Amino acid sequence: MQSSLRFLKSYPALQIVAVLLVGFSLLSPYFLTTGNFEAMLGVNAVVLIAAIGMTVVFLAGGIDLSISTVISASAVIAGLVMAQSDSVVAGAVTAVVVGLLFGALNGVLIGYCRLTPFITTMATQLIARGIAFVLSQGIAVKGTPYWMLDFGFMVWLGIPAVTLVALGVVIASGVAMSQTDWGRHIMLVGSNAEAARHAGINTRFIDFSVYLFAGAMAGVAGFISIANLGNAIPGVGDTLLLMIIGAVVLGGTGMTGGEGSVERTLLGVAILAILTNGLNLLGIPFYDQLIIQGVLIFLGTWLAMRLGSTRST
Amino acid sequence: MSRQKWVAIAIATVVLAGVLSSVSPVFLTFSNFQAILVQSSVTAIMAIGMTFIILTAGIDISVGAILFVSSALFAQLYMDTESYPLAFTATLTCATLLGALNGVLVVKFKISPLITTLATYSIYRGAAIHLTGAQNIPVPREMGFWGNGRVFGIPVPILILIAVLIVGIYVLSRTRLGVYTRAIGNSERSAKETNLPVNKVLILVYGFSGLVTGIAALILLARVGGLQSGIGIGIEFSVIAAVILGGTKLTGGSGTVLGSVIGAVFLVLIDNGLNLLNASPYIYDIVRGAVLLAAVTIDRYSAVRQRAALEAQRAQRIELDAPSAARSEIGMEVRRVSQT
Repeated sequence: MQSSLRFLKSYPALQIVAVLLVGFSLLSPYFLTTGNFEAMLGVNAVVLIAAIGMTVVFLAGGIDLSISTVISASAVIAGLVMAQSDSVVAGAVTAVVVGLLFGALNGVLIGYCRLTPFITTMATQLIARGIAFVLSQGIAVKGTPYWMLDFGFMVWLGIPAVTLVALGVVIASGVAMSQTDWGRHIMLVGSNAEAARHAGINTRFIDFSVYLFAGAMAGVAGFISIANLGNAIPGVGDTLLLMIIGAVVLGGTGMTGGEGSVERTLLGVAILAILTNGLNLLGIPFYDQLIIQGVLIFLGTWLAMRLGSTRST
Repeated sequence: MSRQKWVAIAIATVVLAGVLSSVSPVFLTFSNFQAILVQSSVTAIMAIGMTFIILTAGIDISVGAILFVSSALFAQLYMDTESYPLAFTATLTCATLLGALNGVLVVKFKISPLITTLATYSIYRGAAIHLTGAQNIPVPREMGFWGNGRVFGIPVPILILIAVLIVGIYVLSRTRLGVYTRAIGNSERSAKETNLPVNKVLILVYGFSGLVTGIAALILLARVGGLQSGIGIGIEFSVIAAVILGGTKLTGGSGTVLGSVIGAVFLVLIDNGLNLLNASPYIYDIVRGAVLLAAVTIDRYSAVRQRAALEAQRAQRIELDAPSAARSEIGMEVRRVSQT
């Protein structure tokens, strides 16, 4: 009992999830149904995958504003490739490669040229957005293969296939972060880059690699967005940045680096997912949802900071 | 140091203007010059406020939302009461308070300015749409004076921009507030240790940015003709880009407001050039991003060279006169100003 209490206390995000689950179950009869949960899980796969990428960048002490629109760019280019070739595999590979290219660009500029992450990724965010809109002419890319559309509706063991992909990403990243030297080095660089360098860690490579990883995640998220929406949409990532960063900080991963984990981000995504779903069921208009979301992100971050750790976010 | 910074963007702007005028004969006319300044006025005015925030090593993502709230409040209040003085005062007061609220939250909760203002961005925008019920509201025709009117033959937005610029330059270079602003950006910890009123300065700086954003909203409303749902979306990135292009360091401490204004003009010139080339509007983002990347890369490598030169110089100076080299420039300035 004692230890489970302490566990709850160190994960304020878990408390918020519990409160939201109970609250919405009482307020709406439709909330606690399998159909609703399936929908909720499927819709949030894209944000979850992207947020994992952002988490790893945060853990290394950086930020990647371009994740949101690299999702759009990789979705559009993968969509065009699939429309031409009718091959889903080619589409998936293209999406990841586009993500990796943007990640490599960010990584080289930030890791090796030592540019500021905020400005660099703000610039690549614009470039990725421009590419998505130029190549698609600003409209949804037509000609998505049928298998892709089916994939979006597939459900295994009560969980949508796209969510299983996202959960696979979470587990793989969680293992990589906790079990490999790469993961441990990221945490070291994030908590104290100077000390990490003196310990013989190649900090430039670590910085490069986290942006590469974030790019790959954006690529996967872009591909999944096609399955979810049925088409590659050039504006799909534009509005996701608040959700992605919000989910990461709500989970308790700070911007200063070295504090947090990818599992925590799963909770952060859960909070925003449940909140959006519940408020929609209650018929709250989107503008009031914006207010509630903003307040929750702020208070949640503050709570995570106060209860979860002593470091500032 | 910081003087060289805005000179770089000024030279780039003149070169770009030269290229554009060789492409198009209409470019190098006085009226087109005025048009460009009017076009950049909203971003430029907001960039002046943002410069102060970035000088403290902060950031405000919510300025686009404050721009939208101010526009919504003015349009709604004027429609309801038909009183100019009331709508003006209420809008500017509200904009200042929303900016200052960002400052208060940053100071009290110690969450990073980026996260704090990302949250308030969502809150402010939601509140504004709540207020107006998501509808477009036209503003009366007399309001057009603020966007298209002229005084002594000069467009009103340019006059307002010049006025805000003069205030910005004065505050930054001639007042304690300006010196404290830079001092906080250089090192918040030493600013606290030397008992500077850090919290007060931060709240004032975010509040000032809110105020100028409110002023920019009036110009924007007048130029657009009314409240539209898209107002302010994405403008925070243009404003920040203008400040960075103008030579202000994102890490705080060094930069000028004049540079930020020239940076905003530079961004409009790029749009103008693309327009002359009949480029697809979707390409604008790619060019803006590429220009920003080029600017920070060039700045980075010139900074590396500069630092190497400075260190060589310092090494020489330490041999000659150890104690005077130990005194930091900014510490001297703070002491001098606090004594007066």
